[in-house]
Amino acid sequence: MKKFFYLLILISSFITEIYAEKDLPRGPLGKPDLNGVWQVLNSANFNLEAHAASAALSLVEGPVVPIPHPSIVALGAVGSVPAGMGVVEGGTIPYKKWALNKRDENKKKWLERDPEIKCYLPGVPRANYMHLPFQIFHSEKAVFFAYEYAGAVRNIYLEDPGPAPVDSWMGQSWGYWDKDTFVVEASGFNDQTWFDRSGNFHSEELKVIERYTLLNNHTMRYEATIEDEKVFTKPWKISMTLYKRVGKDAQLQQFKCVEFVEELLYGQWRAK
Amino acid sequence: MKGLKGLLILVFINSCGVVLSEEQMKTWFGDPDLQGTWTNASLTTLERPDQFKSLVVSEEQATRAEVTSAAFTEAIDNPYEEGETPKAGENVGGYNTAWMDPGTKLFKINGEYRSSILTYPEDGKLPRRWVRWGVEGPSIYRMFSQANHPEERSLGERCLVGFGSSGGPPMLNVLYNNHYQIVQSPGYVMILVEMNHDARIIRLKGNHLPDHIRPWLGDSVGHWEGNTLVVKTKNHHLQQRFRAAIRHQILITEDAEITERFTRISEDEILYQFEVDDNVAYKDSWKGEMPLREAEGKIYEYACHEGNYAMANILAGAREEERRNQ
Repeated sequence: MKKFFYLLILISSFITEIYAEKDLPRGPLGKPDLNGVWQVLNSANFNLEAHAASAALSLVEGPVVPIPHPSIVALGAVGSVPAGMGVVEGGTIPYKKWALNKRDENKKKWLERDPEIKCYLPGVPRANYMHLPFQIFHSEKAVFFAYEYAGAVRNIYLEDPGPAPVDSWMGQSWGYWDKDTFVVEASGFNDQTWFDRSGNFHSEELKVIERYTLLNNHTMRYEATIEDEKVFTKPWKISMTLYKRVGKDAQLQQFKCVEFVEELLYGQWRAK
Repeated sequence: MKGLKGLLILVFINSCGVVLSEEQMKTWFGDPDLQGTWTNASLTTLERPDQFKSLVVSEEQATRAEVTSAAFTEAIDNPYEEGETPKAGENVGGYNTAWMDPGTKLFKINGEYRSSILTYPEDGKLPRRWVRWGVEGPSIYRMFSQANHPEERSLGERCLVGFGSSGGPPMLNVLYNNHYQIVQSPGYVMILVEMNHDARIIRLKGNHLPDHIRPWLGDSVGHWEGNTLVVKTKNHHLQQRFRAAIRHQILITEDAEITERFTRISEDEILYQFEVDDNVAYKDSWKGEMPLREAEGKIYEYACHEGNYAMANILAGAREEERRNQ
């Protein structure tokens, strides 16, 4: 009887798997259809590691407890940080000692150093879990990511182009299918982008191996393995869910923030 | 007839004789296929230079234009005689030709060399209501000489969109970065404009945005007419009115309507046509056409803002000049 029970479970899970795969919307060449406007519903861009809510990303010493940096006091609750369960497998990013010190210094000097504040291109994987969505154009000839934030883009080559000819902000990406998972290998980055608003960073040796696994018509599993021997003691991994926007919300808008930071970057040189 | 389905069906033969099959011309979801990486780099400019008297020019005239351009290029790279050096305070110029990619030939349509992108008006000149080199109104000189505020400088210098009308619409050739990548998905045609990494996301159904939402490169909605993608663009950005590059200066006012037509005419060529209706800036509509040719190689990242030391230096330099003149 017990054997029969286990057999039933086995058959049932097998059938579930088959049907789950069959239910996936299929795109070009019979692969899962990645087309759509996607976005995370988490606070990973504030901090990849688990964190409690706080008054601000940049705090200074206060008379009793730390208080928001004078430059962001006026934002009030809008400038505060939502809590997050963290997306790093194992909970902590395995920094080398010097790198951990640098991360902590970055965090203290967030207002001066975070490239997002200056509207610089976000890099990878950060672009995928910012507060704004991105659209995947998935065809038989190309896979292209257009991000709302800063109008950043990634053309995912479908053949290995070899080493990147030059370092860049968004790196060089190429992708292939591992069964129903789209795997993207990204490298050729400069050392200027961050992973989040908490100072987590990398060097120009960064390599990111991303896995995009469609779960159903509305959600996709996103995993990224981070390799950078210069900064970390070992490779580490983040994972989260991407949600597909529907209806009127499924239209990518523009957030060309370069214009929005001209006063910050050039205001001191305006004619009086 | 069904037995012929798998055979090559000759759908179009361009001047080069490249033949496309019906299958090659469709995407996986059945739309005509415009995908690929394309360039519009060419010596042919929007308006017809005065030395040409007709839209179609002879091979001899085309060759002469190529030779003149090559000599100009040579002069940019080698501005001084051997042993000669710049005088103190002399303007030493900007880019050398390593940074430029303007094309080396006039483009051909139907096997004929063209002297202008404009096909209408027939004289190859824009029917402007505004004075191109005027003291008042839009002026490329003023755009590149004012330095009171960053917003006064050209959009290209501000790293907001490419120089001139590179991103369009209409998408016009400029001095460099004349590349476009087209990717299609159900309901969309995405055109990546190399300069300034702008993804033009063209919806294939739906209405235009409300009037007060005016994206950079406008709001584009497309549809298919046979094998031709027809794109109508409205809601132009208020700051994108005057589009100035060395090779063209155009004015696109807020209520202009621009229609573009993309037709794949061979494996390595798209015929790009457009019409601009703007009664405020022009006495008449104007039309143009040019080929988008298959580009060799890959488009690399166009990161502009991240290294825009020039904007700070332009403004800081102007303030320093003011200080010294006080």
